[in-house]
Amino acid sequence: VEFDETALSGLIEESQDTHADALRAAREPLRDMVDLGRQARSSRGLDPDENRTFASENRQRLARTAKRAGGLLAATGVVAAIADFIGGPAFAASGTDVQVLQTASSIEVLAVSTYKTALGLPYIGGSAANPVIKTFATTTMAQHSDHLAAFQAATTALGGTKQDKPDPAFVPVVAKAVASITKASPSAGALMVVGLAMELENIAAETYVNNMSLLSDANAKKVTASIMGVEAQHVAILNAVQALLKAGAGADITLPPPVAKLPAAAGSVGFPNAFYPTSSAAPASQGATS
Amino acid sequence: LSATDPMHLSEAELRAMTSDLDAIHHDVALPALKTSLAEWAEDIHAQAAAGAGGDSARAVQLGRRRFLTGAGAVAGAVGGAAVLAACSSSSSSSAAAGSSSSAAASGTATAMATSGGEGQSLSGDLRVVGMAASLENSGIATYMAGIAAATAGKLGTVPPAVVTFAKTAMSQHQDHQKAWNAVLISAGKKPVTSTDPVIQPTINTAFAKVTNVTGLAKLALMVEDIAGETYQNGLSVIKSSAGIKTAASIQPVEFQHAAILNFVLGKYPVPNAFTGVSSARMPSDYQT
Repeated sequence: VEFDETALSGLIEESQDTHADALRAAREPLRDMVDLGRQARSSRGLDPDENRTFASENRQRLARTAKRAGGLLAATGVVAAIADFIGGPAFAASGTDVQVLQTASSIEVLAVSTYKTALGLPYIGGSAANPVIKTFATTTMAQHSDHLAAFQAATTALGGTKQDKPDPAFVPVVAKAVASITKASPSAGALMVVGLAMELENIAAETYVNNMSLLSDANAKKVTASIMGVEAQHVAILNAVQALLKAGAGADITLPPPVAKLPAAAGSVGFPNAFYPTSSAAPASQGATS
Repeated sequence: LSATDPMHLSEAELRAMTSDLDAIHHDVALPALKTSLAEWAEDIHAQAAAGAGGDSARAVQLGRRRFLTGAGAVAGAVGGAAVLAACSSSSSSSAAAGSSSSAAASGTATAMATSGGEGQSLSGDLRVVGMAASLENSGIATYMAGIAAATAGKLGTVPPAVVTFAKTAMSQHQDHQKAWNAVLISAGKKPVTSTDPVIQPTINTAFAKVTNVTGLAKLALMVEDIAGETYQNGLSVIKSSAGIKTAASIQPVEFQHAAILNFVLGKYPVPNAFTGVSSARMPSDYQT
């Protein structure tokens, strides 16, 4: 398996004009990973015992998550199927860091496709859409594309196969939500889009926070750390937008917002937790390739 | 919601929403944090015992016990509830709040103490922890001074949402500071109640020029970005898995503060696809 130089190069070229400094945080560890991945592959390959233990631990975590979750996972009927998949031989064939990175990729794939679908709605991506919401959806989709390229590059650097399919546990739920959204009125639909985006962003942020203590490769950690805060920022803005839409104050979603006329509680609605939780994190190997 | 009364309905709805989110935070996030902190205390004691050729199993037991009793010691130092409970709410006073009370009274950040917890020997993960606590103290001091200045009418008209933002962000920084200091106490160290010795002079100089809400927001944004980037860098430095969990749970929150501040300032709230570390405080810079 070769390191995907094309994906990384594209990512770097696309982004260097707008955020060169920040991108270095992702680029440097990715480059370091090339040599590390080659060394690992040439010296010992992937440890099957380690992978089986990891799979077992994640199966237990999946069961706990499914029991706890009141959101997307609880609404799916695929938890048992995912648990079987995780316990299968195909799953155990890949390395633990690789599985974690593949799952992260699968979440990014789903995020990109969800924003793309949302931008196809006239009240999100059309000419009459709120310009702030439209810009946010467009920019956020591009940022998730960058994240996907970074996670895929990190995966191949460690000797894994890049994941380019969406997380299987969340696909049916998103499909169901999108079906409902397309039948809704613009005002109701906008709220549903924001709610769906927020849930996906939160799953991404919580998954990456959780992954920080699961990853063993230093550069995989650096890449993940440079992304998780961005997903949390998406959540913060979506929290604020959702609150304004629910309050019937969609016209106040401007840049900058009319801060003087906003209620006091608007000042804290974006960041409710002093410590970012992980209870909605996807099991770290849920989106691993088979 | 009506044009003549834009505040009433949305205020009630927003409060309800915030209350729901708070409940989730207390039910789920805080127990996980407590577990991570206790595990980190165990790791630190085990590492210390291993380094000294001692009994690492006994050290782990001692670590957990000291974490629990140390938590009480911090609570005593901050004059309130046990620190683990305090991590869930910082509406009461804190060590940093106490040391910066004169700053709040004068409406400046210049009166912060610079000796609390400094001068002790910290290494490894504990050096990161000490620096993090001092950085949180600078964050607390900045917001506290800003709130005091606003209350004194020095910043002109201050919208209610801005006041809520400042109070909530300060409260969360107090929670972070207590978490870091709980780890120091469990390791037999003093809690760090002083501000960051490197960036505090810069904050003080900038704060002296703040005359309105926009200026305060810009200063707060600088502090939040430094904090977020520092913890991001710390994630590459911290050895303990439980310590990584703790730092990872705080880094996104600082960047959320930054996103809201950017939004309020009229800047795009999520400007970068990747957060960097170019403004991070390096543990090697923290002199102990």
